[in-house]
Amino acid sequence: MEAWGFVSLAYGIVWGAILVYLILLKRRYMNAAAELDTLKSKEAASDAKK
Amino acid sequence: MIQSSLQTKKRRGILGALAFTAVAIGLFWSLAIAPPDAYQGDVQRIMYLHLPSILTAYLSYFLVFVGSALYLWKREKRDDLLAHSAAEIGVLFTALTIIEGSIWGRPTWGVWWTWDARLTLTAILLLIYVGYLMLRSLVEDENRAASAAAVLGIIGFLDIPLIHMSVYWWRTLHQPPSILRPDKVPWENVHPSMLTALAISFAGFLLLYFYLLSLRYRLGEMREEIKARRLDRGW
Repeated sequence: MEAWGFVSLAYGIVWGAILVYLILLKRRYMNAAAELDTLKSKEAASDAKK
Repeated sequence: MIQSSLQTKKRRGILGALAFTAVAIGLFWSLAIAPPDAYQGDVQRIMYLHLPSILTAYLSYFLVFVGSALYLWKREKRDDLLAHSAAEIGVLFTALTIIEGSIWGRPTWGVWWTWDARLTLTAILLLIYVGYLMLRSLVEDENRAASAAAVLGIIGFLDIPLIHMSVYWWRTLHQPPSILRPDKVPWENVHPSMLTALAISFAGFLLLYFYLLSLRYRLGEMREEIKARRLDRGW
């Protein structure tokens, strides 16, 4: 492999991995935010019944 | 409350945009503007990833250390949350440093891996913090898991000075520092364009790191809130 091959491999792996981590983190974040919203509206509905 | 949350989101958005811009400029400078190294040629461009990623990992473990020490002292959940969030991102950057180093090692040393003191100690650092994350997920009692992880987080940090000094204390394949040397100032030793590439790349990594950390910390806060609300209502 030529020098640029090693450079491309390193840059590709690093930025690919960071991008995948960012996407997964965002997904976890959105899921938690959605769960929290659902919980809050469920609480509000439960309080309104009382 | 809602306004403060929106402001935090806005600040995080600005941080993300700044990180993206710095990373893009850093990539352009590292790959297109900085000259190739006189001895190693273009393969030396891996340094613009390698050095910022390990320094970012060190910063992350410093935050684990601070968060863990504060948690053991004050028992406040937010300190544990900071340590946990920083450990997760630190593991990512350490793993990437080892991978970059391995790719750089093949054309310069002729091997993908060698049991050199610095490489071995960095691999141990990664294992310690992978252990830290596993400990947190394996121990059911959250407070016990947080306390045990805090102790490990503090002990693990002691590996960093060893990694830094390893190239002085032992005969290693890994070169001693080229930039942060006690006998020379950086601009006497490295081409200014290379230093600029490194500085921009490091700034990009730092901004990206704080962006990821703020997202991960907020995720932890939301999970805590969900748990507390469920417990409160008995759901």
